[in-house]
Order: sequence, then C-alpha cells, then structure tokens
Amino acid sequence: MSEITSSIFVIVPCYNEATVIRDTVGRLLAKGYQVVVVDDASLDNTKDSLSGLAVYYIRHEVNLGQGAALQTGIEFALQAGAARLVTFDADGQHDVNDIALMMELLDKEKAGIVFGSRFLTGASANISLSRKIVLRSARLVNYFASGILLTDANNGLRVMTRDAALKMQITENRSTHSAQIQDMVRQNRISYAECPVNISYTDYSRRKGLKNIASIRILYEMILFKIFR
Amino acid sequence: MSPIQIILISGVVFITLYLYLRLRSNLIDAILIFLFFGGAIFFILFPDATTSIAQRLGVKRGVNLVFYVTILFLFFLILKLYSRIRKLEKKFTEIVRDKGIEKAEFLEKKQ
Repeated sequence: MSEITSSIFVIVPCYNEATVIRDTVGRLLAKGYQVVVVDDASLDNTKDSLSGLAVYYIRHEVNLGQGAALQTGIEFALQAGAARLVTFDADGQHDVNDIALMMELLDKEKAGIVFGSRFLTGASANISLSRKIVLRSARLVNYFASGILLTDANNGLRVMTRDAALKMQITENRSTHSAQIQDMVRQNRISYAECPVNISYTDYSRRKGLKNIASIRILYEMILFKIFR
Repeated sequence: MSPIQIILISGVVFITLYLYLRLRSNLIDAILIFLFFGGAIFFILFPDATTSIAQRLGVKRGVNLVFYVTILFLFFLILKLYSRIRKLEKKFTEIVRDKGIEKAEFLEKKQ
C-alpha cells in the first residue's frame, strides 16, 4: 500500500447492496485506498459479504438515509486521520480509475472539492433519455436550492480535502443531501471543480437506484430544506 | 341551551381540566388556560357575538370567521410540529451515528 493512497478514505454508503458491495469494495482496495463502508441498516447480509476484507465497517442501527450515512463516514474518516475523502456509490456504477484523475484535478485547481460529472465531455455513460431529462432538471433545482450550478448535481462520486470535509455538516438525511453539500460549498466559500467521470449503468444499478418518479419527492424535500434549514 | 352547546361546553371543560392538570406549574399558563376557557364558553353561549366581530372585519358570518382563523391556526401548528420533528430527527441521527462510529470494526482478521 503506497504512502499517498493510504491516507485517502473512500466512503461507501450502502443499503441492501450485499450482492455487489464486495466487488465494488474489492476494486477500491486494489487501488490501495482505505475503505469505509457505512451500512445504513441493511436488511440483507451486507456485513457477511464483506467478511475478511480490509475495510472499516460501520452500521447504523436504524435506516437514516444516504445523506446521514455519508456524514457518518466523513466523521469516521476524519477521526481516523484522512487527508483526502472520497464518496463512492456502492452499486458499482462508478469507475475506480476516476478517483486518481479527480485527485489530480483537486491538486491542479487547488480546489477543496471536486464533483464527478457524467455530462462533461470526456465522460461516458449510457443514459436513457428520460433519465437525462430528470437529471438535467435536478441540476436546476439544486441550483435554486444551493446557488451553485453543476453539470451533474446528483453524481455520487466526489473527492474532497480534509479541510473541506471538516466543514461538511450534512443534516439532510435523505436524497436532498446533494443540494446541501453544494449549499455548504457555497456558504463556506470552498473552491470546487468538476471532473468528467464514467458511469456504467447496469441492470442492477437501474433497478436499485432512484426511480425517476422519486424526483418529485426530492423536490418536495428540497422546498422543506429551504424553509427549515 | 341547545344540545350542540352542551356537547361543546363539556368538550371545552374536559380540555381545560386536562391542560390545567398537566401545566399547572406556572401562573402564566394558568391565565392563558383560563382565557381560552372563558373565551370558548362565551362564544358557545353567545354565538352571535362572533358575527358582529366578523362583520367589522369584512366577513359576513361569524362561523366563517372562526373557520378562517382555525385554518390559519392549524397551519401554524403543522409548521411548528414539523420543525419539532426535524429537530428530533437530528438528535436521533446523531445518536445512531455516534453509536455506529463507536462500534466501527475493521473486518480483516489480524494475523
């Protein structure tokens, strides 16, 4: 394990991903990253499927949502002395090779956080049209909620420095957390950049991921977030 | 006295007693409860009083005024309850999170 990658902590929030989590985590470990799996009270045997792997395993006793799981992972990684933090979806849609490219961009731009984007040129993703429309509108909604316009607001792949992570206080437990992260970036004047990343939609990730219809509920939560934050 | 007045008055008496038994600790609460009790009883016994207030405010009937005010009040209550729920959720999250981090384990068996 190299010196550099061993202080990079990859946070993988998961809920009922036992069939794919071992594969996702294995690919991260192969790159030498520290992996923190935050099991958001899965009902399947997520923990058993990770047995023997060199990962940190944290379990929420009650299901709280992806935003809450990310915050738990961030706090744990900071306590463990992480220099860089990565958020990474458990379902295997991200490409582990993108992390290194995002790290380069983080250094080059001297940014606090780099957001992955499937819509920038250079990214490859086999996205369906309906999905594209939903994601394109979601980015506008996130813009109105946070004041920052990203090309791909709902991408789960992000890389941040320790300083930026120290300022993260995700209180939106469910899907609104992506807008809240952007909101905190703006409020704390954290410099940010976007990096093209590959997304491989599999039948599994399509089935497991958020349905397009869920965007209506997220919109509702977003309005509440604006009112009650 | 009409039957509906008896039903409403017994309801108000019940709620007032309940509130009083739960919150009798300080004087301000007692005064507020007494005002609520007095006001409710007064308007139940003299429903036409609401009409004269309503007309001064530009509403035709007293019942309508009570209806509007009630909607506003209930909406306010929902907002209060919602923000209370959010606060509770936040505390709950922190407890679950802290416990999770406390029990974090490294899955690879050390040789």
